[in-house]
Amino acid sequence: MNEVKVGVFLSDCGNQLSKILDFNALTNYVKDVSDVVLVKRNSEFWRGEGLRIIVDAVKGGKINRVVVAESLPKLSEVSIVQAVEEAGLNPYLVEVIDLKDHCAWPHRETPKEATEKAKAMLLAATERAKLLEPIEKLEFPALKSVLVIGGGIAGMQAAVDLADLGFEVDLVEKEPFLGGLAARAGRFFPTDDCAICIQSPASDVKTITHTSRKCVYRSGFTEIPNLNILANSKVVGVEGVPGNYKVTIEKKPRYVNELKCVRCDLCTPVCPVEVPDEYNAKLKTRKAIYMITPNVHPPVYVIDESVCKFRDCAKCVEVCPTDAIELDQKIERVTLNVGSIIVATGFQEFDSSVIKEYHYGDYPDVITNLELARMIDGFGPTGGTIIKPSDRKPAKKIVMVQCVGSRDRRWNPYCSSICCMISLKHASLIKTAYPDTDVTVCYIDIRTTGREHEYYYERAREMGVKFVKGRPSEISRDPETGRLIVDVEDELLKRFLELDADLVVLAPAMVPAEGTKELAEILGLELEEDGFFKEYNAKLRPTETKLRGMYLCGGATFPKDAPTTSLHAHSAAMKAAKFLITGKIVKDQRTAVVNEEYCGDCEFCPVTCPYGAISLEPTSEDHIVARISDLLCEGCGICVGTCPLNAIELRHSRPNQMLAQMKALMSINGTSKPLILTICCSECGHAAVDSSGMAMMQYPANVRVMKVPCTGILQVHQFLEAFKVGAQGVMVVGCKSDGCHYEVGSQQAEKKVALARMLLKEYGIEPERLEMFNMVYIEGDKFAEAAQTMTERLKKLGKLQLMEGS
Amino acid sequence: MKQGKEEKTTNQAFSDVITSRLGGETITLCYQCGTCASSCPVARITPRFNPREVIKLSLLGEKDEVLSGDAIWLCCSCYNCQERCPQKVEIADVIYALRNIAVKEGNIPNIYSEFAAELINEGRIVPISKFLEKKRPDLGLPSLKPVGVDALRKIFSITGFDKIKQEKAEAS
Repeated sequence: MNEVKVGVFLSDCGNQLSKILDFNALTNYVKDVSDVVLVKRNSEFWRGEGLRIIVDAVKGGKINRVVVAESLPKLSEVSIVQAVEEAGLNPYLVEVIDLKDHCAWPHRETPKEATEKAKAMLLAATERAKLLEPIEKLEFPALKSVLVIGGGIAGMQAAVDLADLGFEVDLVEKEPFLGGLAARAGRFFPTDDCAICIQSPASDVKTITHTSRKCVYRSGFTEIPNLNILANSKVVGVEGVPGNYKVTIEKKPRYVNELKCVRCDLCTPVCPVEVPDEYNAKLKTRKAIYMITPNVHPPVYVIDESVCKFRDCAKCVEVCPTDAIELDQKIERVTLNVGSIIVATGFQEFDSSVIKEYHYGDYPDVITNLELARMIDGFGPTGGTIIKPSDRKPAKKIVMVQCVGSRDRRWNPYCSSICCMISLKHASLIKTAYPDTDVTVCYIDIRTTGREHEYYYERAREMGVKFVKGRPSEISRDPETGRLIVDVEDELLKRFLELDADLVVLAPAMVPAEGTKELAEILGLELEEDGFFKEYNAKLRPTETKLRGMYLCGGATFPKDAPTTSLHAHSAAMKAAKFLITGKIVKDQRTAVVNEEYCGDCEFCPVTCPYGAISLEPTSEDHIVARISDLLCEGCGICVGTCPLNAIELRHSRPNQMLAQMKALMSINGTSKPLILTICCSECGHAAVDSSGMAMMQYPANVRVMKVPCTGILQVHQFLEAFKVGAQGVMVVGCKSDGCHYEVGSQQAEKKVALARMLLKEYGIEPERLEMFNMVYIEGDKFAEAAQTMTERLKKLGKLQLMEGS
Repeated sequence: MKQGKEEKTTNQAFSDVITSRLGGETITLCYQCGTCASSCPVARITPRFNPREVIKLSLLGEKDEVLSGDAIWLCCSCYNCQERCPQKVEIADVIYALRNIAVKEGNIPNIYSEFAAELINEGRIVPISKFLEKKRPDLGLPSLKPVGVDALRKIFSITGFDKIKQEKAEAS
C-alpha cells in the first residue's frame, strides 16, 4: 500500500472561530502529527478558492488522505467529497469535522479548553483518516418491470402510472374480476361519481387530454400493451433481491377460455346450480357460472368450482357457441421476473357478527355499509331500491350505527377514518332518491376531516337526516312485528331512546384484507399491531418499506378514502420507477464484511439484521458462515454489535479506526474536569450535538464526541476500552428507541449499555460512569444538559481507579 | 387566577385518586359513547343514576358531587356496561372504587352502615326478625341460630373494615 500522506485543512469561518480557538496553536500542533504532510488554513474550504487548495493538493499527489475542519459539515462534505473524487482520490478517504458547532460555539466561554479539545478532535480525525480504506461503488442490475399485487383502485392506478412510464407491469388480483372493494361501493365521496371511474392510461387511443377519466371497462386500461393482468391468481412465492425478484404466481382455473368467451350469456340460463350471490350481499342469487356485474374486467365468465357439478352436468359446455368452456383447466403456476413489487391488497369490512348485542348475521335486517352500498348501486341486486332483506319490502325507517368494531379496544382500537363519510354519503343518497325515508345516524363523534367532507354532514342535516349522539347498546327485535329496536342514549338530551327501524345499517371497522398475514410472510414484510402493512416511515416514506424494492399503497397500510388511495398509488409508482429507471442500482460498499475464519455456527446476526441482508451458508469445511449481501446491507453495523465472535466489521467503521479515534480524543486533557467520551450515532444523536452547538448552548469542553453509523454497532468491550484509554465517563447518544433510523440499533445499544454497567460493577467501577441517552435533533438542550449532569456526576465520583493490568 | 390554578390541581388529583384505586385504573379511557348508560337497567328507571355521567363528573373533578350524592350507591352491579364498553373501561369496578373513596371520606348511606354494623354484631346483613322466625317453620326451614362472629371480626380487623364503620360513626 502507498505511503499515507494526510492533508489537514482548517477553516476559521471568516476568522469567527479564531476569536475563540487559538488557530496558530492548532496549526503548529497538527503539523507535528505523524504522516501529516500539509496543513492549510483558510476562511472556508468547501467552495471557491479554499476548495481549489484541496483539489490541487490531491491532484498533485501531495496528499492521499483529506481531513477538513469545516462548519456546516453535511453541506460542505458533499461538495468536498465530490471535488476530491473528481480530482482522482477515493471519496471515502475524506474525513470532515465541525470545529464550530462541536467545539468553538458550545465552549466559547472557555477558549483555552476549547482549543485543547479542538486539538484532540483534529488528532482523532487524522488518526481515523490514516486508517481509512478506499471503498468501491457497486452496480447491481435492475429489471424494468414491476409486480402489482391487488387489482383494486390502488393497484390499478399504480399499474397505469408505471405502464405509462414504459415499465413492464404484471397486475395480480386474487378474485376472478378486478375492482376490489371499491367496485362494490357504487359511488364515492367526495365527488359522488362512480367507483369504477379511473384515470385513463396514456396509451388509450381516445385519450387526448389529461381531463380524460373513464369507467374501467372503457378506459383502455386493460389494453395497455405492457400491462399483463392476472385475475383469479395469487402470489405464492418470492425469491431474489431488490431489482431482480423471481415471483411465483398460482393462477386458479377459470374454466372459461378468456380468448374465446364472447359474453353471449347463453351459459347462465342453462346452469342448474343457484347459490346466494356474496358479491351482492346475498340479496340475489347467481349461477355456478357467473359474472359479478356486466361492466367488469376481465369480461369473461367464471365457474365457481366449489358448487359446479362439472362433468355430471356440463350443460354450459353444450350451449357455448365458441367452445370457450374448458372444464379440464388445472391450477397453473407462472413465474415472473420483476425489479420491484408494489403491495396494494387493501382492506375489508370487519365481521360485525362477533358483537353479539347487534345481532348481525342473526337478524336479516341488520346489514353493513357495504351491503347497503350494493342496494344503492343501480347495478346492484335491488336495482337501487332500499329494501328490508327479511321481506324485501321497502325500508322506510333506517338507523345507522357508527363505530362497529372501530375505536373498540376489544376488537380494533383505531378509528377506521372513512366510515363517517361513507354513512353520510349513503344517508344523502337515500334522502335524494327517497326523500320520505327516515334516516337516523347514531354516532360517537362525526369525523369529516377532508376537503368537501364537512359539506356532506351539512347536506345530510339539510336533507333532514337525524343525528343521535350515542353508541347503541343493543339491537333487539319485536317478536310480534319483527321490527328492529335500537337502544341508545341521546347524550345531549340525556334521554333513553328506543328507535324502531325497518333496517339497521352498521358501519363496521375496516380491517386488513384476507390473506394479508400470509402475503407479508411470503414477501418478508412487517405488519403493524393493527394487522396492516408497516410503512418505512409514516411521516416521510408512507409508501416505502424497509426493504428496498418493495412498496405499499392504498388500504394495505390503513383504511383510506379514494383520493388518498390515488395519491398513495401515484407515490408508490413513483418510488418504484425511481428505483428501477436507470436499469441498475448503484451503491457504495460501506457495508459489513464477515471474517469467515472467525465466523461460524451461530445464528445471531441474520436474526438481528433489520434488512434481511445476512444469510447463513455452508462452507466446504462443513461449517456454516454468515454471508452479507452488499445490495441489502444498509451499513448500520448492528450485526457487528451482535456478533459474539467479533467476526463482522463495517468497512467504513472498523474497530481499529474507532479505537484510534477514541485514544486520540482522550489523549489531550485541557481542563481539570473529567474527560467524557460521547459516542453518537450518525443520525439523531449527532444531530442533537449539532443543534446544541448551533444554538450556542454551553457545556464543558471535556465532553468529546465520536461518531458511529448507529449505536447498534457498539460492543460491550468497547465501553471498557474507552475507560482504559482515559475516559472518566462514557455517554452513548442514540435515536429514540422507537425512532432509530436502523429500526433496532438504539434498542440493541441500550441492552449493551445495561450489560456493560453490570460488568463495570463487577470490576469495581461505578456503573453510573456509563449512560445511554436517547434524543432527537431538536433536543440540543437535552444534550447540553446531559453533558453537564454527567460532568457533575463524575466530579463527585472522583478519578477512576483502574486495577493494575486491567 | 391563583384560585383557578389551585382548583385545577385538586381536580387533577381526583382522577389520580380514582386511577390509583383497585378497580378505578381504567376510568381515563372513557370517551363518553353512552353504551354503558344505554345498557344500564337502573338508569332506565331512575334519572338519579347514569354511569356515563358519573364517569364524566369524576373526570372533570367534580369530587363532591360524585361522592356526596347517592348515584354511586344505586349501581346494581349487573356488569352489563362493563361487558359492552368499547374502551374496556371497567365501569362497575370504577363505581366500587368510587364507593370506597366515598366511605373513606365519611360518605356512606345509612343503610350500608347499618348493614356493616349488623355484620359485625350478628354476622349477618339482614337481622333475624320475629316475622322471619315465625315464617321459617311454615316454609319447612329450620330456625336460625346465631353464627360465630369471631372469625369474621378477625377479618374485619385485619382489613380495616371495622375502622371504616367507626369513621362513619365519628363523621355522622
